[in-house]
Order: sequence, then structure tokens, then C-alpha cells
Amino acid sequence: MSTAADPASSPEASAERTASIAPTVTAAAQQPYDDSAVALSAVDLTLSFGQHTILSNITADIRRGAVTALIGPTGSGKTTLLRTFNRMNDKVSGYRHDGDVLIDGRSIWHPGLELTSLRRRVGMLFQRPNPFPMSILDNVVAGVRAHKMAGKPAMKSIAEQHLTEVGLWAAVKDRLKDSPFRLSGGQQQLLCLARALAIQPDVLLLDEPTSSLDPNATESIEALVRTLVPDITVVIVTHNLAQAVRIADRTIFLNKGRLVEHGPTKQLFENPAEEETANYVGGRFG
Amino acid sequence: MTASTPVAEPTGGAGSVPSPRAGGSLRAFVKGGGLVRWTGRTGALIPVLALGFILAVLVVEAIPAIRYNGLHFFTKSIWDEGTGYNSRIVTTNGVKHLTGADYGALPEIAGTLITSAIALIVGVPISIGAALFIVERLPRRLANGVGIFLELLAGIPSVIIGLWGALTFGPFIAHHITPVIARNMPDVPVLDFFRGSTGNGEGELTSGLILAIMIIPIVAATSRDLIRQVPILPREGAVALGMSDAQTARKVTLPWVGAGIVGAVVLGLARALGETMAVAMTCGVALGAVSSNIYGTMTTIAATIVTYLDTAFLDGSGFAVRTIAELALILMVITLAVNVAARLMTRRVSGTPLPIGAGF
Ligand SMILES: Nc1ncnc2c1ncn2[C@@H]1O[C@H](COP(=O)(O)OP(=O)(O)OP(=O)(O)O)[C@@H](O)[C@H]1O
Ligand SMILES: [Mg+2]
Repeated sequence: MSTAADPASSPEASAERTASIAPTVTAAAQQPYDDSAVALSAVDLTLSFGQHTILSNITADIRRGAVTALIGPTGSGKTTLLRTFNRMNDKVSGYRHDGDVLIDGRSIWHPGLELTSLRRRVGMLFQRPNPFPMSILDNVVAGVRAHKMAGKPAMKSIAEQHLTEVGLWAAVKDRLKDSPFRLSGGQQQLLCLARALAIQPDVLLLDEPTSSLDPNATESIEALVRTLVPDITVVIVTHNLAQAVRIADRTIFLNKGRLVEHGPTKQLFENPAEEETANYVGGRFG
Repeated sequence: MTASTPVAEPTGGAGSVPSPRAGGSLRAFVKGGGLVRWTGRTGALIPVLALGFILAVLVVEAIPAIRYNGLHFFTKSIWDEGTGYNSRIVTTNGVKHLTGADYGALPEIAGTLITSAIALIVGVPISIGAALFIVERLPRRLANGVGIFLELLAGIPSVIIGLWGALTFGPFIAHHITPVIARNMPDVPVLDFFRGSTGNGEGELTSGLILAIMIIPIVAATSRDLIRQVPILPREGAVALGMSDAQTARKVTLPWVGAGIVGAVVLGLARALGETMAVAMTCGVALGAVSSNIYGTMTTIAATIVTYLDTAFLDGSGFAVRTIAELALILMVITLAVNVAARLMTRRVSGTPLPIGAGF
């Protein structure tokens, strides 16, 4: 394990560690967590595609009910780490992993945890909006239908509830049967967010969700993300450091597949423990 | 991993419109451009003219038959050109025919529709399943190999498939498969169509299955090309939402190219409706009777036209040939109706919720 990857090097993180997680990595992997403050955790996670090691010895606890930002240069493995959390990498050719990822203290690769139910609990929003080829209403409840979470009569009100939650109801209430592809990019992304929220995930993974959107749409997504916590744990990949500062409680800095630093956002940006972090955030920020 | 297609919007399989060429030194291209446009317009007109011409000839040929045979042509099961010792040419309502000529094409029409239905019911799910499997499960190289195989299968002359059906496939299912089905099928309406004598392997089911085999390469290859066009992003969205592979295919992948898939099915149906040789070789001999169960001998419009044409020319009144023309006209109308229905269907399916192109 890389020394730089040890979050204990920052005082506050160290206090939390002692307070929150089991003393050793192996113990953590074997026993269920009794700590409800951690929603997801990577435990010495190493991941490779074929000959290329993409992530090395990542250990990180994602705090429950908080927004955690994943930052780092292009190719540092942010997307790969994010997609590991809902096992979207499993089918990539040459994929292999060591170590573990725990959700509520249990391995996401545990045979007793069905993949579809993992993905029900860990939702995802992509870099670009990806509505399904069905009406706006059907889009919102697509996951609800797939998981048989509600009967037919309830669908409309579920759709209304979540479209209202993302602030899209007023704009689409008269065109619920219309194509989602006639909505603006920002509206489409909000629709996808409503779709992800409709299946009531515990964790929401966002991969640069605003990179294709204009400042207004970005602002509404950011504001929304803040309203999701603490009910939902949010992990967001972003290249926009200002965005990380605006919305993230905690930030993880990845570089070349290693976790360099993990701590409260303010501290990581204003007073980073690692020189690598300082170089990355310092160059652009403050 | 991430999507590579720039436009994440379903096309419905419609051909993309090429972007207009950038202007430039216009003068130099006026003549060439005009020529191109003129040729293009004529080219576009040719299919319309050809279709109109064929229809017109058929109608002219068939009108006397339509007048003499009347509506009974659609409801009767009989094929009697009236030849016999005392047959003479007589004229009824200005239509020349042999005495006692009596035609009803119900068996031909029913046979055509039933065998095509069998072909679709069996062939389409297999084709679409195969297409999904090829695109989503097979590694690229293997997928290409299977693609070549599909093209080879599509290229086999129908007379060879017909021969195989008559010599090998038909007898095989008649001995090993259909007796079991016929014995175990409950004696209730609809299902009792699957009971009774299973014959020697020449008949409706054999022909229908042969047709299924013949449409699978077309429908599968077309669907495969369509499914390949579906961008990864919406599919990943479905997977990330916890949908199963089947749900993803049914809710996202196939609807994305829905109009195109309907087009592929219509292509297959048109082939099944019109396929002549393979059916003529596997349907048995049954002019003038509707089969009592799915295994019985039967005939289709196309098979009747090809097997009966020679005899029809012997009718000195020319009426048998006119009746053949009427049969051909019916087949033509069925085929056109299928195409129009498919267009209406894709419009209804995709009209409001989907931004799908004008057609396929
Ligand atoms: N499916 C794949 N097969 C092989 N290598 C991959 C695959 N996906 C990603 N990689 C490699 O993994 C590394 C990390 O990629 P990843 O997409 O996780 O980076 P990222 O930090 O999200 O970058 P960006 O900021 O540009 O989105 C890259 O070197 C990339 O080439
Ligand atoms: Mg990325």
C-alpha cells in the first residue's frame, strides 16, 4: 500500500478512522461493519484491464449521507473507480480485481447479493444524458417497473413525485407522453436524475454529470445534489474543482490509479497534506 | 466504456441524411449538379413507374376473372377449369370461359397466410434473439464469422432448400416430432388444429418451417446491423438501473431501432409470402382444398401459380390464365397491404414518444 494513500496522515481523518472503522483491513473485510457512518468502502482495491493496472491499492471509506467528490487528472481512474461501485466494469474484457468493495459492510461481489439489487441500491448518472426511447413518464418509472417496486396505478404519481423533486414537473407535466429527446440537454439530465431517484437508491454515483451542460443547468443539478444528502450518499466525479468545493463535503484525490489524499473538501483544497495534491489543486485553485 | 457515438438519439433505423455539400465554385458544378439531380429524380421515379405498370397489367389481365369468379373466389375451395369431354367455350357477361369453370382460391389464400404466419412466429424471435446474441455476447471475430454464415444461408437457392425440405427435413419431423405433438395436444378449439394425422412430412407445417429458415438470415442480419447502431450510453443506463439483459433488450435496445426492426420483419414477411419454389416442393398436392390440420398438404398462391401455369395455358378460352392473374393480383395486394400496415404501425408506435425517421 502506498504511503501517500494513507488518509490517516491528516489529523481529522485520523480521528475519524479510529472512531469509525475496524482496526485492520483484513478484519474489515471479514466482519460486517457495525459502523453506520460508512456507506461504501474500497478495501485495498486493485483493478486491472488486461495488462494495465488502472487502480492500485485503493482504500477509502465513503461517508454515508455526504457528498464525496472524486478528483484527479484525466486517466487517473476516477470513472473506473466509480463504475466499480456498481460493478459496471465487470464485463469489460480483461477485467480483474483484488481487494474488495463493501456496501454496508458486505462485499458487492458476495454471491448472495444479486447484481440487479446492488444496482437498485447504487444508482448512477452519466456524463451525458441518456434517456430511454420511451415517453417521459415511462422514462421516470422505467426502473420502478423493472424492479416491480409499485403497481400500475401508482406510476403516474411516482413520476410526478420525482419529476417535482428534480424541478422538472412544471416543464413536462403537459407532455408526459412525449419523447424525452425533444427536451433540452439539461432537462434530459434532470430526467435521468429523476429516473435514478425513482428507485430510491442508497448511493448515487455521478460521473461528471454537468460536463455537457450550460451554467444554468449545472447550477440546478448542483443545488439538487445538495438536497439529496443526507438521505442519499453521493459520489461525484468532477474535473471542475470549483464544483467540488461548492458541493462536496469530502474529496478524494486520485492520481495515476492511486488514492493520494482523502479528507474534508475544505482541508484538501486549502491545506493539503500531500505535495501531489497541492500541485494539482494549487495550480488551478487559490 | 464510455459512449463513442456522438448522437445519442434513436434513429429508428432510418437512413441518415447526408449533409449538404458545402458550397463553393458554384458555376462549375451547376451542370454536373443539375445532371445529378435529374438522374436522381428519374431514378426515383423508376420504382414508382414499375410498380404502377405491373399493377396495371395484372389488373387488366385479371378483370374478366374478377367479374366471372366474383366474391366467391375468396370463400370457395374448388379448382375446376371446366375441361372435360363436352366442354365448350361459352361467354358469360362478356367473359369467355369453358363450361363448368369454377374457381375458389380460399385454400391458396389461407395457405399463404398460414405458412407466412408460421414463418414469422418461429423465425422472428429466433432472428432477433440471434441478432442480440451476436452483438452483445459474441466477441467481434466470432460475430463476423457468424455473419458470413448468415449471408451464405441467405444465398442458398430456394430450390435447394426446397429439396432438402422435401427429402430430409419434412420426413424427419413427420417421423420424430409431429406425431408426439399431435398426440399430446389437447382437443380444444385452436389447439385441435395441431391434432390428427401428421402425414408424410409434406404440408403446411413443413412449408412454414422451411419459410422460417429462409427468412431467418434476412431478419437476423438486418436486425444485427440495426442493433449494432444502438449507442452504448442508453444501454448502460438501463444496466446501471438494474435492468436485466432481457429487460434492457426489450425496453431500450430494440425500441431504439424499433422502426427498423419492423422493417426487417416486413422484409422477411414479404419473402415468406412470395417464396415459391421451396413451398411448391414441400407443400404436397392439394389444389382446391383447405388442410384440416397444420400437418396437412396445402398450397399457397405462389406455389399454385408456378405449378399450375402450364396446365392453365391449355385452357383454350384463356380463362384459367386470367384466374392465375387474379391470384397474382391478390398476392400483390397482400404484400402491399403488409408494407403499408408496417408503415402505419411504426408511425403509431413511434409517432409521439420517439423521434424516429420517416421510414426504413
Ligand atoms: N474498458 C477499458 N479497457 C481498457 N482500459 C480502460 C478501459 N476504461 C478505461 N481504461 C483505462 O483506464 C484508465 C483510467 O480511465 P478512467 O476513465 O477511469 O479515467 P478518468 O479519471 O475517469 O479520466 P477522465 O477524467 O478523462 O474521465 C485510462 O488509462 C483508460 O485508458
Ligand atoms: Mg472519467
